[in-house]
Amino acid sequence: MHNALKFDLLRKELHGVFMTLGLVAILTAVLFGLVWGIDLAHGSVVFLIPVVIAATRWGIVSAVVAAICGVLASAYFFYEPVYSFRIKDPQEVIDLILFIFVAVAVSQLATRLKWQLEMARQREIDLRDLYAFSRRLAVAFDVSDIHAAIEDHLASIMQRNVVLFASAREASGSGGRRAGVTVPEPVLAEVVEVASGHRDNAAGAMVTTDSGEIWLVRAVSPKSPEFGVIAINLGRESKEHSDELRIRVDAVLADATATLERLGVAHAISEARMRSQTDQLREALIGSVSHELRTPLASILGAATVLSAAPALQKEKKLTALVHDVRDEAERLNNDIQNLLDATRISSDGVKPHTEWADPADIINSAIERCRHRLEDRRLAVDLPPDLPLIYVDPVLVQQALIQIFDNGVKYSAPASQIAVRAHTTDGHMFISVTDQGAGLTTAEKTKIWDRFARGERHAATTSGSGLGLWIANAFIAANGGKVSAVSEGPALGTTVSIELPVTQATVQQLESDADE
Amino acid sequence: MSEPSPIVLVIDDEVQIRRFLRTGFELNGFIVHEAGTGTEAIRSATLRPIDLVIVDLGLPDMDGADVVERIRSWSSVPIIVLSVRSSEAQKVHLLELGADDYVVKPFGMAELLARVRVALRRQMRAVSGEPTVKAGPLTIDLAARAVMLNDKRLTLTPKEYRLLQVLAQHAGNVVTHQHLLKEVWGSIHVHDTHYLRIFVRKLRQKIEPRPDSPKILVTELGVGYRLVQSGQEGDAGSWSDPAPAKSET
Repeated sequence: MHNALKFDLLRKELHGVFMTLGLVAILTAVLFGLVWGIDLAHGSVVFLIPVVIAATRWGIVSAVVAAICGVLASAYFFYEPVYSFRIKDPQEVIDLILFIFVAVAVSQLATRLKWQLEMARQREIDLRDLYAFSRRLAVAFDVSDIHAAIEDHLASIMQRNVVLFASAREASGSGGRRAGVTVPEPVLAEVVEVASGHRDNAAGAMVTTDSGEIWLVRAVSPKSPEFGVIAINLGRESKEHSDELRIRVDAVLADATATLERLGVAHAISEARMRSQTDQLREALIGSVSHELRTPLASILGAATVLSAAPALQKEKKLTALVHDVRDEAERLNNDIQNLLDATRISSDGVKPHTEWADPADIINSAIERCRHRLEDRRLAVDLPPDLPLIYVDPVLVQQALIQIFDNGVKYSAPASQIAVRAHTTDGHMFISVTDQGAGLTTAEKTKIWDRFARGERHAATTSGSGLGLWIANAFIAANGGKVSAVSEGPALGTTVSIELPVTQATVQQLESDADE
Repeated sequence: MSEPSPIVLVIDDEVQIRRFLRTGFELNGFIVHEAGTGTEAIRSATLRPIDLVIVDLGLPDMDGADVVERIRSWSSVPIIVLSVRSSEAQKVHLLELGADDYVVKPFGMAELLARVRVALRRQMRAVSGEPTVKAGPLTIDLAARAVMLNDKRLTLTPKEYRLLQVLAQHAGNVVTHQHLLKEVWGSIHVHDTHYLRIFVRKLRQKIEPRPDSPKILVTELGVGYRLVQSGQEGDAGSWSDPAPAKSET
């Protein structure tokens, strides 16, 4: 491969030289014609043209060839005696020396310009790669995305097969095949060594495989093991050329890790790992809470209801009261567990509504029915217009949200006060509002009530609760494309909580007219 | 109930749940058989005459839904499902498999007894061929295809009557949206819940004393409708209040 590269360079050089010779020949022919036709004295300066062209296009060798050919052509064709390389006039000798000097200077300048241009272009490509890389990192969703981005970036810059292993486990578990690249066994072994931290190799280790390929194995960043370990196939290179490549790898990796560190990727990776572990833990906890806590609770509640209805207990007023306490407390515990389960569900994987056409009156009535006991000592005023449009929502989620709002209204209002439920539609939106005559909201509370675990400081001592209710209500309504808002004239002046839901009226009206036979 | 004591088969792997159910049922004049696994339950159901089955969904050896399906393959005995998992989709699935009703854990004994009585009554009506169904002030004579409200005959459109008829045939039990849509509009409309909503609204205008707060034709959110029979109303809520049926997906 190295020889092939050299041959390639030589061929490029020769191509330049031949092109230069052609240019000089054409120019000489043109000049020769001009000198004969219009009796021009001589035109050695014109030979600077091929020198500059050759210098900018094909490099210094071609430029020198152009200068020498120019001098020879001038001496042979244009200076006395013509058709001989000898020159009679000393003035013309000085002309030619001057020409050679200018030609060399110009070709030097032109070559340097060309080199700088190429450097600038290369830097631009590098920068563009780096920019694309950063952009990919910025939108990376999880650890594997980040690793894929690092891998692709290195592969495109090095023009070599690059495989990145996130951990020793990944390397030993991959069986050596990754993204269409087969990583030989000894290289894998080295990757495992480096990834598990057994080897201190900041510079990286070279592994030569049975087939003679050289692989470079090193940690992406010696400081941050989160970035993983890369294996780069350097091919069958000579010692000095692979050293060259290795320096280039160092430079690219230094660039890449700088970018990674600037973006705080190391932190993000370890955080993402921790988060996925916490998520798993939480899922396990939800399962165990929902079963381990609710099953005994079902026995307690069930047994309490059997006891409270038992004829033997009917006569014992004190014991009956005690049984009712057991029942009520178990029920409260059950509601708290349900709220926690809902909250975990909302924050772990979001709420997936099962939408259908629903009658808002049905939703409101069933929410009231569910809260019948809690609403018992409040004056309930329900005002629902008979022509409410159907809404396309998950009725159970909207009902749950309403129950939370009722709960909240009861919690912060006095017995015998009024709780009013109203519904109306305006501009394609349905509003369901619940107004209490309770504690109201201060300006500070208005913004805070939607937070998770928000508890009004004014009521912390007098009312119990987890502070999850309105947060859950908000999440359930948001899942249905709506929003919840609260209005209050101020402390002790009552609160109105409104649910706003979108209405797709056109469909329903059309159906209403043609559905019956 | 003045008839001979009904026999109920309780299938649940939790001893504590079986114990309170046994006490609760026995206090109300039932004879209780117990089973801790699905296999045991199916054997028990084939060996002895049973009037009603209560089955928990989380059994150690098989899914409660399988038990429902197996029993339903040879018996029309009323089946009531107990579930802690209360996803509406799951309830609908169980009802489609042939369960008569469901109760979400935790539940009160009174709520379960109300469901049980409805299921037993329906079974008795099916056996005796009793043609009239009463729901509050409403009387539906399935043989004469007549609907009376406070002894005054109502005029219903054919689809309204069909809807009420299907609900009356399952009086007291919840009937899923899908079942109602299939029976009234045909199987191509099983997902057109809005047809149902609009017709139920019209029907309520005719049969409910207060259509804005229905007590006869009640909605089971996300599942279906229930025609509440005389005496059933109020039973369900006699323990403080039923735990909200939350969907856990």
